[in-house]
Amino acid sequence: MSEKKENKGGLLNRLLIENPVFGLYLGICSSLAITTNINNAIGMGIAVTVVLTLSNILVSAVRNYTPDDIHIPVYIVIIATLVTIVGMLIQAYTPSLYSALGAFIDLIVVNCIILGRAEAFASMNPIGPSVADGVSMGISYTLSIMAMSFIRQILGTGILSMSNPFTNAEIFSLRLIPEGFELPFFKEQFGAFITFACLAAACAAHKNHLEGASKKKGSK
Amino acid sequence: MQVVFAILIAGALVGLNAFLYIRNRQTPVPEGCENIKPDCAACGIGDCALRSKFLEMKEEENGDH
Amino acid sequence: MNLFTLFISGMLINNIILSKFIGMCPFMGVSTKMESAVGMGLAVIFVVFCASVLSWGLYYGVLVPLHLEYMKLICFILLIAAFVQFVELFIKKNSPTLYKQLGIYLPLITTNCAVLYVALDNITQEYNLIETIVNSIGVPAGFMLMLCIFSTIRERLRGNDVPKAFEGNPIAFIIAAIMAIAFSSLSGLV
Repeated sequence: MSEKKENKGGLLNRLLIENPVFGLYLGICSSLAITTNINNAIGMGIAVTVVLTLSNILVSAVRNYTPDDIHIPVYIVIIATLVTIVGMLIQAYTPSLYSALGAFIDLIVVNCIILGRAEAFASMNPIGPSVADGVSMGISYTLSIMAMSFIRQILGTGILSMSNPFTNAEIFSLRLIPEGFELPFFKEQFGAFITFACLAAACAAHKNHLEGASKKKGSK
Repeated sequence: MQVVFAILIAGALVGLNAFLYIRNRQTPVPEGCENIKPDCAACGIGDCALRSKFLEMKEEENGDH
Repeated sequence: MNLFTLFISGMLINNIILSKFIGMCPFMGVSTKMESAVGMGLAVIFVVFCASVLSWGLYYGVLVPLHLEYMKLICFILLIAAFVQFVELFIKKNSPTLYKQLGIYLPLITTNCAVLYVALDNITQEYNLIETIVNSIGVPAGFMLMLCIFSTIRERLRGNDVPKAFEGNPIAFIIAAIMAIAFSSLSGLV
């Protein structure tokens, strides 16, 4: 029973404390720049999840055949090829997303989440656990940047809206803050930094709270 | 034909990388410089490959305290 | 395009950290000592300049004649990694003092977003060689300027009463937010 509780705590743990964006500060360049609206965040999150999962599979598949000396250039080639392919697919099928994400699709290559997980996990584990690790890391990354873009979009434009990236048709649009009362600086750089700082502080506060609680248990 | 060129170019770059990496590891650090580490609080953040080692070191230090 | 405008725009107005959010990782980790910020900054300027010019040469010299433009990303990142290894090898053999100043920061720059971004941006904006050179010096010069400013602010912050949840990186982002406002006021210059 206690193992199950630990696992549940483990899942929430993954999301809050070992959060790749706010807890471990991986891939912060893209999470600050593209989170102006939810469409971009979901698109980038899905792209990173796909690249991460596929690269984990490929790295795990070749891990026994690459000599130890050249493993870093080989992983870089694998990840760069995947990013090029995903970038071309995005450019072909969702051109509005491509023009919104801009250069940040190509910068997924140097996103530390992908190379870091390849180095730390996929190069030492078989394909099954690597897939699970890739998917879970990708989902927690997507949820983190969705949270940030949610805040920035609502406070910055007052409208919560999503549109279909394939056809540019609007799915829904809700005005949550009356016209004239929104805070436009959340769309700018200042708002991005402030939102990120507050979310990172929230995760750090939760971590400190948990550590304080476990220290009390330990001293008892 | 293009695919052959592409694979050749990628292979040449990977080979160059491997060669330089191995040579780099074989040359010793100049004397007096063995122990310096980059003086930055979160250097593990900058390089993905160093990051896991940096986090392990940090956990060991925290465990010792 | 006016070269001076390009330089100032890359360095101050469209500053790569405060305006485009690229290269945040070493920015967050910079120490309070000015010497290490300067060392890191000079290393970044050198690597970005040489790697961008070499990448430009590789793109227009090899990839475009062979119609292999889609190989751009793979070739650039491998070229940057190889170049950093080469520079570290060269410095180790020839100059211990330079190794002490710059060499220790070189491995940190390989996976830095800034180097790859500048190399790709030169191609996207279709600059010729002179414009590439000016852009590739201006942008990392702005990066170094931000690192130095940030290290002095962090020095002043030491010993101050930061709320516990904000210690470390979150307060660094708040500082970056205030610096972003200060530098965004330059955006009407060009």
